Amino acid sequence: MAQGSVYWVLAVNLVIWTGLFLALWRLDRRLRELEKER
Amino acid sequence: MCLVIVGAFLYAPPAAGFIGSSSRILFFHVPMAWTAFIAFLAAAIWSGLYLARREPRHDRAAAAAVELGFVYCALATITGAMWARTMWGEFWNWDPRQISIVLVLIFYGAYLALRGAIEDRERKARLAAVYAILGVVVTPFFFFIVPRITFSLHPDSVINARGTIDMESRMLQVLVASWIGFNALFFWLHHLRCRMDALRERRES
Repeated sequence: MAQGSVYWVLAVNLVIWTGLFLALWRLDRRLRELEKER
Repeated sequence: MCLVIVGAFLYAPPAAGFIGSSSRILFFHVPMAWTAFIAFLAAAIWSGLYLARREPRHDRAAAAAVELGFVYCALATITGAMWARTMWGEFWNWDPRQISIVLVLIFYGAYLALRGAIEDRERKARLAAVYAILGVVVTPFFFFIVPRITFSLHPDSVINARGTIDMESRMLQVLVASWIGFNALFFWLHHLRCRMDALRERRES
């Protein structure tokens, strides 16, 4: 794999994992709110 | 995980004997497979606890562990196929490793189908628990024994037959960090899934 392609794969990976982490963090917060309501 | 990704692409060197940077997939493929194994083992432990104590939360935990283990196992299969395409020329080569991981997927796919097929909660939980405990025999057989007793094109396991690890130190550091990251992600996802199930059950009752 050319060095340039490695950076592309790295960038795509970082975007996916950051998105996943943010989605899970939001879900965690929402669940905490729902648990408090009950 | 972001540090692991940066480490996998920029810190660890590509392994010798692999085409280009294809060895970098190791930092995702191997920890995913290990985490899948841990998930299935955890499912068996929670299933055992369910059979002993009959608490629904243990059944929920076992089901969530199998669901997540299934996803990790599927991702390990896909990343393995991507690597095989680069190294062996085809996504699917009927290699014993490929066949054994697909058999594990079918085994746990059947677990999920079993859960979906039974209406009665108590009966579903009991049968699923027995099935998941059976997985303690099936999973190590396909993960560890089959690849060692048959000829395979797959590279040696990280821990080789002599019980040692022959790997460049930076690669090993990234691999261990990745393994910790994937396991932490599994337990976080599992915790979220169990909390969601508990909330749903409370709402229904």
